[in-house]
Amino acid sequence: MNALLTSAVAGLTAGGTYALLGVCAVFTYRLVAVVNFTGAAIGTAGTFVLIALFEAGFPIWPSVLAGIAAGTATGVAVGYVMTRWFGEASASTKAAVTVALLVGLIAVGLRLTGGQHPHNMPELFPGSAFRLAGVEVTIASVLTIGLAVLFTILSDLFLNRTKIGLNLRALADRPMAAELLGVRVQLLSLLVWGMTGAFTTFALMIIAPQRSPNFMTLSLLVVPALAAALIGVFRSFWWTLAGGIALGIVEGLASSIDSVSQYRSAIPFLVVLAVLLWSQREARWDEAR
Amino acid sequence: MKRASLRASLILIVVALVAGGVAYAGLLPSYWVFLATSVLITGVALQSLGLVAGRTGMIALCQMSFAGVGAWTVGYLNLAEAPGGLVAWILIGGLAAVPFGIAIGLPALRLRGINLAIVTLSFATAFDTILATMTYPGQTDFLQVPRPELFDSDEGYFVFALLFYVAIAVSLEFVSRSRLGASWLAVRHSERAAAAHGVSIATAKLSAFALSAFVAGISGGLLAGYLGTLVAENFSMMQSLSLYAVSVMTGAHFAEGAIIGGLLVVMFPEILRRLDWPQDIGNVLFAIGAAQALSTGETMSETFRRQFRKLLPAGAPKAAVASASELPGPIERAAGPALSIEGLTVRYGSVVALNNVSLSVAAGTVAGLIGPNGAGKSTFIDAVAGFLSSYQGSVRLGGKPLEGVPAHLRAREGVRRSWQTNRIAPELTVGGYLALAARGLSANETKAVLDWLDCPHPDTLVASVDAGTRRLLDVAGVVAARPAVVLLDEPAAGQSHEETLRLGQRIAEIPKLFGSAVLLVEHDMDLVRAVCSEVTVLDFGQVIASGPPAKVLSDRAVKKAYLGIEEESVAA
Repeated sequence: MNALLTSAVAGLTAGGTYALLGVCAVFTYRLVAVVNFTGAAIGTAGTFVLIALFEAGFPIWPSVLAGIAAGTATGVAVGYVMTRWFGEASASTKAAVTVALLVGLIAVGLRLTGGQHPHNMPELFPGSAFRLAGVEVTIASVLTIGLAVLFTILSDLFLNRTKIGLNLRALADRPMAAELLGVRVQLLSLLVWGMTGAFTTFALMIIAPQRSPNFMTLSLLVVPALAAALIGVFRSFWWTLAGGIALGIVEGLASSIDSVSQYRSAIPFLVVLAVLLWSQREARWDEAR
Repeated sequence: MKRASLRASLILIVVALVAGGVAYAGLLPSYWVFLATSVLITGVALQSLGLVAGRTGMIALCQMSFAGVGAWTVGYLNLAEAPGGLVAWILIGGLAAVPFGIAIGLPALRLRGINLAIVTLSFATAFDTILATMTYPGQTDFLQVPRPELFDSDEGYFVFALLFYVAIAVSLEFVSRSRLGASWLAVRHSERAAAAHGVSIATAKLSAFALSAFVAGISGGLLAGYLGTLVAENFSMMQSLSLYAVSVMTGAHFAEGAIIGGLLVVMFPEILRRLDWPQDIGNVLFAIGAAQALSTGETMSETFRRQFRKLLPAGAPKAAVASASELPGPIERAAGPALSIEGLTVRYGSVVALNNVSLSVAAGTVAGLIGPNGAGKSTFIDAVAGFLSSYQGSVRLGGKPLEGVPAHLRAREGVRRSWQTNRIAPELTVGGYLALAARGLSANETKAVLDWLDCPHPDTLVASVDAGTRRLLDVAGVVAARPAVVLLDEPAAGQSHEETLRLGQRIAEIPKLFGSAVLLVEHDMDLVRAVCSEVTVLDFGQVIASGPPAKVLSDRAVKKAYLGIEEESVAA
């Protein structure tokens, strides 16, 4: 029993990261109508700026700030491409563009970071926060989950309670119409991209020491993130949050069982398959077509 | 249509014969032949991707995983010393990938294509780790996949791969011009319009996905024979992703697009290697190329084809010419009501779009449905044709209730509709569109129907047909299917006065020529007066008048609904 709890708790850091990335994906989708496959890659870019500065001997916290700034800038750059050239494109074209950008980002990232070459990733928050039924809960896991919850609450409030949030929702539905109403579409979209870039970067910095920190592995964290977003049907922040954390816990559990631990990266796939089949119960016609 | 397929296939076969001959005669350095084989194998994988990404417009990111299934199967059969040799193993490998393709295609049936992107990407990551854990059969004891004796040399294997490439390209050429291929394009362009032709969206998407997985599996099997032993890295997710970028960039659903893509994938790293530059720059360029293609909406193949057409002397668009006697004969229908609707009520939230509407169309007649904008006419058609998730009341086709019957089955039962907006896939030819709309029409019948409505020649590309004529083409397709009931949604919108007069004559002929009853939704009162025997008027979702046109159109309430005021105040 205790062994199971240990492995479940071990999955919490990952769960928090998935949840945060997932909520960012939903946030981006609801505000700028893009299913973003580059989400994790943007954060990875920022994380590797931190690694590079740290390896060059800079002190850690300024490096963290520089990394977050770099992640934000990458997010804004991707956002600029999306708003500048694909503002009026269909949802599936936009998704295809982010897939293409993901290919480019990974290629550039692998080149600049030396491919599979191992890196020295500093652990930002070592140690345990508290003990739960005799099991150590790490600061990292408390932090990622806390951050995910915070971002969920903020997104929820922002979208439903503030004028600017309502403006942005109008924008996702009809960018042109919003523009005609005097909403500064471009600026607001870039804000969304920058904000999600910053949050993603920070989350990836926390989880990076647990994974093999190479550019591709970290960029592919977008898969569990999108699985979490699907659990929230790309609408509900809270369901996405829960889905992401649950995904992490299930992965943690799976890694403790020898016969399935090698296959644990198939879990997001099975979850995606199940969620999609479940949400197909009711047939409906695609509104746009 | 058949002729066009034959011509394209012949060109392909001649080019392949020359290429195969040059290689086999040893006119090229062996290393180049080796690289060219790789181009062909990548070309096969790209063709498989072109099926889903290019033709049905879905984002598929696990094509190399399917190839991995094929290659793994070949390796396994080799290890098990299965009979049949490489050719049989490759085909079995392709078949082994099909169930995976179907399983992954299932979640994409009813939801947006983006979900497919997520499923395929997560499958690719999952497959990556699973393949890495399982190791490739024979990898540990260096067991090579043997090539067939005849094709054992590098030149020989080039010819072997070439044979597969050509066989697949020719088959895809024929399939893509068949009704199935047309249904893929139709689904990509508009799922509703495809269903209105009786196309099952599920069958169309799944068949594309299954076929695509089969072809991808074959490419994996070819790779197994090419390299002898394989590692998981050959089928990594990054390969799938970059293959997708290339297919978007070059247009892998065109035969030349697949080869150009194959050349780029193979030759780019080769050139970079010779220049002593890092080889992964290739992926960056593919990403940029794909983004560029997506922003202009035109792939490399389409650009080349457009430029090429410019070089050719532009022939004047040909009209379809045939005598009216070639028209497909009418289907005899029982007298009585062809379509009867009772108490039809549709609500969108708290808005009542249709309120207790009853209407009946007698067999062999043209009935009219009119009303001001927003009266609920299009909602009425949507409900009858099966495009609304729920409504109250009953819709009966010749006495048979249609409740619970989905749109594409209603279309097959005999309820066909046209659209207010143009929903014909522009990549189709006029003849291909008619074959999609009306199954089993002969070439002469096709021409006759097109001529009857002044539509262009069957070989014309829909993209080059003007908007007004496309609306006529929409009507032609619906009518050519000779259904029990034809629902026409404002066919005269955008037509000139003369064209409308002519269209009116044609609509009036439909019951006699094709045996279909017609329900005409129209704003043009002259047209309605000229062709309809019965008219029903809707206003705010309610029937406010019905009867013979002369009587209904002079009704005071109808005039008020159209003008918004009482007639007296107009006079005053």
